[in-house]
Amino acid sequence: MAKKTYDLLFKLLLIGDSGVGKTCILFRFSDDAFTSTFISTIGIDFKIKTVELRGKKIKLQIWDTAGQERFHTITTSYYRGAMGIMLVYDITNEKSFENIVKWLRNIDEHANEDVEKMILGNKCDMSDKRVVSKERGEAIAREHSIRFMETSAKANINIERAFCELAEAILDKTSGRESAENPERVVIDRGNSDKATSYSKCCA
Amino acid sequence: MERGSNYPNGADASAAAVPVKTTLSIVQERFKADETVHLIFEAYQIKGQEHIEGLLALVSSASGGTYAIISFSVLRTPLTASNDLKINKVFPINASFKLTTDSKASKTEQQFDLCTDDDRPTKYYYYSMRTDPLAVDFNEFCAKVNTCKKTMWDAELPSEAALNFRWLDDYREIGEVKHELKKRESEYIIYKDVIVYCATWNVNNKPCWDNKNTLRPWLASGKRAPDIYAIGLQELENTARAMLNGNQMQMFATQWVRKMLENLHDDMEYEELQSVRLSGIMLTIFVRKNLRQHIVRCRVNSVARGVFNTLGNKGGVAVSFQLNEASMCFVNSHLAAHMGNVAERNEDYKAIDDYMRFEENGPQVRTINDHDHIFWLGDLNYRIQEPNGQQRPGPMSDAQTFELMLQYDQLRTEMSYERCFKGYTEGEIKFAPTYKYDVGTDTYDTGEKQRAPAYCDRVLWKGKLIEQLEYNGVMEIRESDHKPVYAIFRVKIKTRDDDKYRKVLAEVLKAVDKRENDSQPQITTDRLNIEFGVVRFNEPAIRDFNVSNDCPQQVDFKFKVKDSHNDICEKWLHVDPRADSLMIDSARSIRVRALIDANSVTGLLKMICTAVDKCVLDILILHVRSGRDIFITVTGEYQPSCFGLSMETLCRTERPIGEYTLDEVKQLMLDVTPVYRVPMPREYFLLIDYLHNQRGQLFQSYDRRQPLSSQFNAVRDWLDSWSNDPFPGTPQTAAEALLLLLDLPEQALLEPFVDDLLASRSKADAERYIDLLSDPKRNVFKHLCLFLCEGVERGDYDANNVATIFGRILLRSSKCNVTIDYHSRCNEFMQRFIRIENPDTVSGGNGHGGASLQT
Repeated sequence: MAKKTYDLLFKLLLIGDSGVGKTCILFRFSDDAFTSTFISTIGIDFKIKTVELRGKKIKLQIWDTAGQERFHTITTSYYRGAMGIMLVYDITNEKSFENIVKWLRNIDEHANEDVEKMILGNKCDMSDKRVVSKERGEAIAREHSIRFMETSAKANINIERAFCELAEAILDKTSGRESAENPERVVIDRGNSDKATSYSKCCA
Repeated sequence: MERGSNYPNGADASAAAVPVKTTLSIVQERFKADETVHLIFEAYQIKGQEHIEGLLALVSSASGGTYAIISFSVLRTPLTASNDLKINKVFPINASFKLTTDSKASKTEQQFDLCTDDDRPTKYYYYSMRTDPLAVDFNEFCAKVNTCKKTMWDAELPSEAALNFRWLDDYREIGEVKHELKKRESEYIIYKDVIVYCATWNVNNKPCWDNKNTLRPWLASGKRAPDIYAIGLQELENTARAMLNGNQMQMFATQWVRKMLENLHDDMEYEELQSVRLSGIMLTIFVRKNLRQHIVRCRVNSVARGVFNTLGNKGGVAVSFQLNEASMCFVNSHLAAHMGNVAERNEDYKAIDDYMRFEENGPQVRTINDHDHIFWLGDLNYRIQEPNGQQRPGPMSDAQTFELMLQYDQLRTEMSYERCFKGYTEGEIKFAPTYKYDVGTDTYDTGEKQRAPAYCDRVLWKGKLIEQLEYNGVMEIRESDHKPVYAIFRVKIKTRDDDKYRKVLAEVLKAVDKRENDSQPQITTDRLNIEFGVVRFNEPAIRDFNVSNDCPQQVDFKFKVKDSHNDICEKWLHVDPRADSLMIDSARSIRVRALIDANSVTGLLKMICTAVDKCVLDILILHVRSGRDIFITVTGEYQPSCFGLSMETLCRTERPIGEYTLDEVKQLMLDVTPVYRVPMPREYFLLIDYLHNQRGQLFQSYDRRQPLSSQFNAVRDWLDSWSNDPFPGTPQTAAEALLLLLDLPEQALLEPFVDDLLASRSKADAERYIDLLSDPKRNVFKHLCLFLCEGVERGDYDANNVATIFGRILLRSSKCNVTIDYHSRCNEFMQRFIRIENPDTVSGGNGHGGASLQT
């Protein structure tokens, strides 16, 4: 009964240390809400959110992963098939930032080669507790040629923008393949008018 | 129908011993207080191979004043609660509602379709026998539904707005963004004025270059520059000639298009959107240049009439497109000629109307009548048919005269009888008949035939929000025997206010996403951690946990196979069930069994050596179909035992293994230095010592997969504690334990020289390799051989049998390339070591072994 209500489906993945705010980021993006109680994600949750980009309805299926270390081996098996990965650290947690390198290595080993990546420094509203400067975040992103943004799920800073930018990057990649099929919005059916004229010809 | 009359009321129900709810009352529970379930009908659907049992309920809302059919699937039979019913479709009984029975249906498959709101029909089937006595039969169902529709729609018609179906939104899935957007159209739709200029001219086979004069009086009238031009020409060229030379014909057409484009309104730039031609009938659409980008889905087609209905000397051509949110269609037709052929003209019209189709994306097609705004122009050829004997009125330029003549206009007559152009409108005609003139003059036919003047050339329209501004004939263009005609319209085009639309779309998408996220199947588990506590070798332990479904739909779950080991769990765990379905509000328990036995201990020890957390026995992935995955951690602390540990590890212990913690054992296992506390593991020594003193055939057979004897665990504890107590089991148990001790370590006793030893030709040859084994292994091997040798010598053991059993264990190869004669070669190898050939070796070995045995 349910008909397809979108043009494209992108699968995105949120990864990063436990407690950096992956679930909050997703909750802010999908439900525009925030809760400060920490409930550790024990498994893989997903939510969908449809956005419109360049006139296309894009359904984002966003997978939220358990950040706890003991689940790492299991969560890596979910990397395959993801078209975009959000790698999240917490600007008030040095360790979570240092682990970015480890997460990047995980992505290299387990994700599709052409996966779009983005690093998010979350909790940027908590400036008094900041231990990782924005410059360091930018530097590591530059070093790996990855997009970077500081976000706050609590203060709703850059959340929507981050997802849309990641989706757009994926769209750029996919539209390259697709553009031949659909060159423009307007399609004039020349073929049909030829039929009308050739019709009188063939009756001669 | 009153609810009370349909099912037992409260008094009746309480009279029964067990008050059983009727199906109707269960269905009623799904609705609000002012909504009444009038009847239920049992109907099922077929999806793929599956029958989906269902119920259709006819429901009305007092506040909405409307009826609807709600389609339920029945999740559980017999029905006991309202949440066993799932709404799968809602059919408002509105003007577009249809209940149709399929005439092609066979007798056994009784079926019908329900259809509403321009959706595809949904097919339902029903059984000839009712299972619920309160359900109605098909005839009653149809009759009642049709009565409802009649009372709502055929009586004094309240407008659609007065009847509201909004109460149904609570029951409808917003699966469809399109549907939602359509519903909220009024919030973002505005109407924009567009000037449409329609023009038609029968050019009487005159090439346009004969026409030196301007076409402006015909095409550039009106104050405001039009947005869209639809210009129809007829008799572009004599049909016979046109067919002979298609290329030339196309050239004529191109010339005409160019000529017309040059003569459009000056104030605006235009471009050709599309032309379509059928023989001499051509329709060209010009649009304002900056309007072009707002036009999509442009399609053309033609319907040929005339000779044999195929020649195309008569017929119609049409262009269809969408401008903003409005669909527009333009038709140019040349219908059958001559005074008497009214019926033929009507036929031509009907054929064009019926057969003109525009392709859509997908299997659907648009017809002319599927458009919001339709303009039909052309040489329709209807004549003025005055009653016999009536004199033609005087001068032709007088408006009153036109009015008199138009009384006898065939087109108006036919339209008034609805024999053609049903639903079309034509504006007031205040111009002279456009046919037939002597070419080059304004004089009516003075030729032989003296054809009566007629309004052959017309422009009609159909659709909402169209206002005609001008309708005129053009006398000063004299190249043809027809005068050109034009009509100017102001059309209010449905247009999207982009800002408002984006806002509505965002809201709709959000609501649809929310619905989808909220309806995600979910189960909850009463624990995420299954704790086994201390787990001992060969002692099964069981833990149960519960999963429950508290979402409003059936949920299927399964444990996911993990890539790493091709199964849902590790070898030492067993999960039952591996998959199941949970009905609404139901729960079930899942049993996890842990057993660290001969088949799994090596794997477990290996995992303990590498794992971060030695207590995590496994992580199960509980997967909900179309939903999330839950990780269930299984923990337990393995109590180390000598079984499964290597001889080297056992030689590093300074106290019984049972007194070591798992962490300490892990350290021992990871230690690779060749430093040993004893020459051979005490556990081997104790067992062999005991067995040495027993008589009889003890080694009959060995299979690692066999369950162990009942005394085994006592023997395990005896060994793990280096007990001084008498051996707690039978000699058979001791034999069993010895074989397991030898067999379980990851590396076979004679590794890493298994291949070399199998290839060796003599005992001496083999001994060179034996000497290279680690001390614990070499000592165990020698001591074992000595023991077996004595047993054989005493006649307790059959040499061949013992060689087979031990050979396979000691020479167990981790490699897969086992040769065909592997077993016989194992046997052969062992025999060399357990048969007495050389008394010196035996006595030497015996001395060592004997000394040990007597310690």
